[in-house]
Amino acid sequence: FAFLFTVTVNALEGKDCKESVKLIAESANLSEEQLAFLISGMYTLLREALRLPLSTFKQEVSSGSTWNPDKVKAVIPEDFIVDFSSVVFGNRRPTSEGTALIQRNRLPSIQDFKWRVDVAISTSSLARALQPSILMMMRLSDGTAHRFEVPVAKFQELRYNVALILKGMNDLEKRSILKIQD
Amino acid sequence: QAESTFSEEEEEKLQIAFSLEKQDLHLVLETISFILEQAVYHNLKPASLQQQLQSIHLDQDKAEAFASAWAAAGQDTIEKFRQRVLTPQKLETIGWQLNLQMAESMQAKMKSPQAVLELGVSNEDSKNLKKVFVEFSHQELFEFYNKLETIQAQLDSLT
Repeated sequence: FAFLFTVTVNALEGKDCKESVKLIAESANLSEEQLAFLISGMYTLLREALRLPLSTFKQEVSSGSTWNPDKVKAVIPEDFIVDFSSVVFGNRRPTSEGTALIQRNRLPSIQDFKWRVDVAISTSSLARALQPSILMMMRLSDGTAHRFEVPVAKFQELRYNVALILKGMNDLEKRSILKIQD
Repeated sequence: QAESTFSEEEEEKLQIAFSLEKQDLHLVLETISFILEQAVYHNLKPASLQQQLQSIHLDQDKAEAFASAWAAAGQDTIEKFRQRVLTPQKLETIGWQLNLQMAESMQAKMKSPQAVLELGVSNEDSKNLKKVFVEFSHQELFEFYNKLETIQAQLDSLT
């Protein structure tokens, strides 16, 4: 059982466990159906447990607790519950949470941001045109790249808006944590 | 300017108004645009423009007409040419949204603020404004802001 358990935890942490599953299938006496049942059951249990933040739980969660009513149907021996709790509450939790954070569904974020400031000394239409201009190149996390020029006035607007959002975020973080309790 | 300043119909109307042949009309228009382009290129003052025109034996009243038109609209034209850039895409609009994310499929009861920046990028002279959405967490936004500050420092050191 312990082996199955480690495999499930590894899966939650995002590691590839096809090899380990094959090993288990060959070594144990379980039929394929039972194996699939066990693994998926443990995975779902742990995933649901990890979904709720740490502060909702108390350390004294035992087998008859409220956070897993389906557990009553499944037959899980007493000592394995200790294993479960240790994963949920113990040191390995941040790793699973870290993986969950990475696998989130989000809009693309900036992966790489390059810029340059040019001053156009002379153009085909103007002999003396001392005009600064800003070129930005953004590479986003979904693979797209955008290269565009930003007029100086628009750059000021961008800077102002970003500062405004930052201020809003700061205010939010100070206030909302007090108001919205778990 | 490479684009023709007048449409076909307008050219015909001008032809009739000045009773010129088509080629003559073209010649006149091209001469005028050439003179104006040179004025823009060298950033001429109206007075010097008038002087230059007179030195190439242009009629007095015509030179004066040029000078007065240039005095009226010259600076704006120069400014407009100054702002032109040769890049295919330009940032036109900026919009944003500040959200407080409460939950998602992998995690419930989270209170993390995030911002979505919407950048409207125009493609080659205001055809199809493409909207680019970028999401930022608090940390990412802070880093982005620091980069913008660096750019601003560079701009300030120019003046």
